[in-house]
Amino acid sequence: MNQKKRILLLLGGLAAIIAVMFVVEYIRGISQANNSDGELQPGDVAIYWNGKLDLGFSAADLETLEKVTFTDKEDQKIQEGWLLKDILLNFYTNDQFSEDTVIRVSSSSRSLSATVIWDEVLNDKNFIMFDLSGRGTLKLVSVLERLDVRAEWVQDIDKIEINPQ
Amino acid sequence: MGPGYRQDRDKSTMKKQYFSTFQVFLMTFFAVLIVVAKIALRLPIQLSGHSGIFWMAIIIVGTRVVPKKGAASFIGLMSGIISAFKGLGDFGALNTLISYTAVGVGTDIALLVLRNQENLIYASLIGMVGHFGKFLVKWAFGVISGAPVGFVALGLGKALISYIVFGALGGILGGLTIVALKKAGYFAYLAEKK
Repeated sequence: MNQKKRILLLLGGLAAIIAVMFVVEYIRGISQANNSDGELQPGDVAIYWNGKLDLGFSAADLETLEKVTFTDKEDQKIQEGWLLKDILLNFYTNDQFSEDTVIRVSSSSRSLSATVIWDEVLNDKNFIMFDLSGRGTLKLVSVLERLDVRAEWVQDIDKIEINPQ
Repeated sequence: MGPGYRQDRDKSTMKKQYFSTFQVFLMTFFAVLIVVAKIALRLPIQLSGHSGIFWMAIIIVGTRVVPKKGAASFIGLMSGIISAFKGLGDFGALNTLISYTAVGVGTDIALLVLRNQENLIYASLIGMVGHFGKFLVKWAFGVISGAPVGFVALGLGKALISYIVFGALGGILGGLTIVALKKAGYFAYLAEKK
């Protein structure tokens, strides 16, 4: 086999695998759309207000928001993403929340969750934010003491529950 | 029958090792180098897979230093074991172990087709395929665990391109390092050591 054929073989194999990946993603999208709560698009992160599905947001909703960064103390790695405060204020107004409004961020696929209150979310120094993980899903990271190491972060987020007191 | 007979018999019954002890030592050294680089080297680039630039360079140099089939997989597996124990990665030890190993397996597969790492075009393709192996595992774990599809789709295209580009750059860096080591006479020195 000559060089050209070898390169084409390798690139062809790579392209075939990538094509399969996108087909699988497409099928998953259809499947998740059938199983979701009607109003949500596949992959939307659902926001529940007082136990009721209120809305969902997608990647496009984050594009307009400003990104912030901090260096995590565990790995000294830069975490970059969107503040939870900015995401929520994109859909709600500040007066809809009280200082002790409880916000629960969870991942159904990983059975993980974290709970914060609005007062903490409002404080920019806490860096309660969503970072894009290595495989492109959202993860909750922060410098809050109970959320400042990898083991405490919530990956593959798909639900935010807001419970005003 | 003296001691000489016993030595001959031991030699004849001893199974020949695929990798010599020296080669295992070298491959383990490269695996450690990957983990150290992963922890210590921080590029100020907020793109997933950017570590592939040094990752693939180290693996490709490793496969030239130990030019045997399976060397990249061995380096990948060793780096995966060390990293899993070190707690690296966002998605747990198993994900870390398999994704690090996949880099090596991908590199070995590419090396079956393109054997010459000194050719920079080949090296970039080998780096690309090797690093893609890691991405594939991360994606597969996402599918298996039922990760949200939409954000994966957002990240998928971007992360895929990022992984491929940084893998290719790492491959080129590895290829250039091999050329430099060859010029410096490192491989001739290594041949004497064997």
